[in-house]
Amino acid sequence: MRAHAPARHSPFLQALVGVGVLLLAMLLAVGAWLIPSDAGYGGVGPNFLPWVVAIALGICGIVLIRKARRSGFLHMGDHDGEHPYWPGFAWMSAGMLLNAALITRIGFVLSCALCFVLAARGLRSAQAHSSGRPKSWLIDSLVALLIAAPVYWMFTKFLGINLPGLTDSGWL
Amino acid sequence: MEALDIWGHLLQGFATAGTPVNLLWAFVGCALGTAVGVLPGIGPATAVAMLLPITTQVEATASMIFFAGIYYGAMYGGSTTSILLNTPGETATMVTAMEGNKMAKSGRAGAALATAAIGSFVAGSIATVIVTLFAPVVADFAVKLGPPEYFMLMLLAFTTVSAVLGQSTVRGLTALFVGLAAGLVGMDQITGQVRYTGGVPELIDGIEIVLVAVGLFAVAEAMHAVLFEGKLVETENRMSRVTMTVGDWKRSIPAWLRGTAIGAPFGCIPAGGTEIPTFLSYATEKKLARGEHQTEFGAKGAIEGVAGPEAANNATVTTALIPLLTLGIPTSNTTAILLGAFQNYGIQPGPQLFTTSASLVWALIASLYIGNVMLLVLNLPMIGLWVKLLKVPRPQLYAGILIFATVGAYGMRQSAFDLFLLYGIGLVGLVMRRFNFPTAPVLVGMILGPLAEAQLRNAISIGEGSAWIFLQRPMSLALLVLVVSVLLVPRLVQWVARKRLKASNVIS
Repeated sequence: MRAHAPARHSPFLQALVGVGVLLLAMLLAVGAWLIPSDAGYGGVGPNFLPWVVAIALGICGIVLIRKARRSGFLHMGDHDGEHPYWPGFAWMSAGMLLNAALITRIGFVLSCALCFVLAARGLRSAQAHSSGRPKSWLIDSLVALLIAAPVYWMFTKFLGINLPGLTDSGWL
Repeated sequence: MEALDIWGHLLQGFATAGTPVNLLWAFVGCALGTAVGVLPGIGPATAVAMLLPITTQVEATASMIFFAGIYYGAMYGGSTTSILLNTPGETATMVTAMEGNKMAKSGRAGAALATAAIGSFVAGSIATVIVTLFAPVVADFAVKLGPPEYFMLMLLAFTTVSAVLGQSTVRGLTALFVGLAAGLVGMDQITGQVRYTGGVPELIDGIEIVLVAVGLFAVAEAMHAVLFEGKLVETENRMSRVTMTVGDWKRSIPAWLRGTAIGAPFGCIPAGGTEIPTFLSYATEKKLARGEHQTEFGAKGAIEGVAGPEAANNATVTTALIPLLTLGIPTSNTTAILLGAFQNYGIQPGPQLFTTSASLVWALIASLYIGNVMLLVLNLPMIGLWVKLLKVPRPQLYAGILIFATVGAYGMRQSAFDLFLLYGIGLVGLVMRRFNFPTAPVLVGMILGPLAEAQLRNAISIGEGSAWIFLQRPMSLALLVLVVSVLLVPRLVQWVARKRLKASNVIS
């Protein structure tokens, strides 16, 4: 069920994907050009596969652009037409990037809990219900700690995997 | 290998897999696998990838048994979701959803779940017997293959995974080459030359598989959910008692066996993917149905349409372990990550695996038998428990997945840099998901790429610098012809069909 009319897949965005692939191919080609070609006895050096990949991706990029301009990509998935909901995405991105920036400072448990709360907030607002209420913030924070803390203990205590903590106790 | 040898090895395997600790690992793996199979938004590939850091601590046999349990359990759990939830799931269970959903809507969810679980057990067990009997034979044969043949086999895997299975050849190939490019980053295995690191020291060891898998699947899935799925309303079908009538059994048993017969060969060849065998099985069942049963297809829901594809799915997934273990060739996302897990232990799957790591391999095979029994128990009497997982609210589910993604990404190398990289890979995955690029070729390309490159260079060394070596050896020439025909035949058929259509239009 959709709340609004389906959006159309824009041919411009499809072409942009093709351009992205083409740019990646060029980048790879530059890299391949910098790799020495000393093939030794084998006849095929370390720069051979990089060239193959760069050229093949270049061809793929061109074909993708051509397809986008002619008929558009065929066989797209089921959820094609939905309009993207950017505010929710921003919340989630903030959660993930803050997590990356803070994990070594405030420890795994708090950092992941923060990521959880922000991402959940974004997902709730995408569903457009009970997102702003203080109660849902509280529930999310509690659930976040209830997931993050046991996960932290399980991985550090039982499996011996190093995850950063706020203290050296190994519990937080 | 003699039959008696196999029997002896298998018993040894049961002895290893049957220790309390390993049984516990198998059980936890099966339970976790069922859970991730039931939960939307996370599959076996993601789950195994997130847990790859345990390979640094846990002993090889235990963790491979654990991963195999997840791999297996997810197949059982996936059918529960596709029968009870009215949303398109992953491709492996799409066919089950077609009839299973219809059955559930007409109040027969229980029978659909039962035939799926028992069918998975029957097919899984038969396929495990096939693995037991044939893997050693294939390994014996594979010892005789040289680098040219191996390279061609890998080329075949690349082509089938990227060009044949997806809906768009160009997008499949693009995904494959992106994966190959990712595999190039780091130190070249043969010359020690550093490639594409851009001076970042973290990249000399290459890009971690965990990052790519978790980024492409878990993070991209969460991003896709928040961007596009907020307004999607899910409905759940009503559960009914999980039993089958005598009539259901009579209709299911032949369907299970046919499904297994269709599915098992597909796993053995380096083509992978469960889409083709499950669809074939569905089409077969529909064609063979007569009278009243035939009218149930697409209307009330026919039990054969669940039993057959579900069996085919499990048979394919199980026999896919043959190319993985004997040739070291993965043909799906999950087997690619399993290969990565082996590599983390410094073990290279291939024909030698059966001699160098015999106890590991046989314990793994024995654990498949044990896992199947565990899963049958987990999925029949305890099904009600798993169904509750469907009630987990989406915001908390996806946010929780991000916590586990952090564990996987950070736990592998203890580097916050990897978490930023994870976000970036998630963005790439989002674009791929949005424009319907397949993900399996990326993983297969990234993991198999460096191995294929080494085989290529060894092969050309054998040919004293000449690529003619690939044409001079009969086996490699045959494989090359196969690769070319896999790429060209579908196109030729299309072209001829179009020509004929044009011709007939002109005449009429």
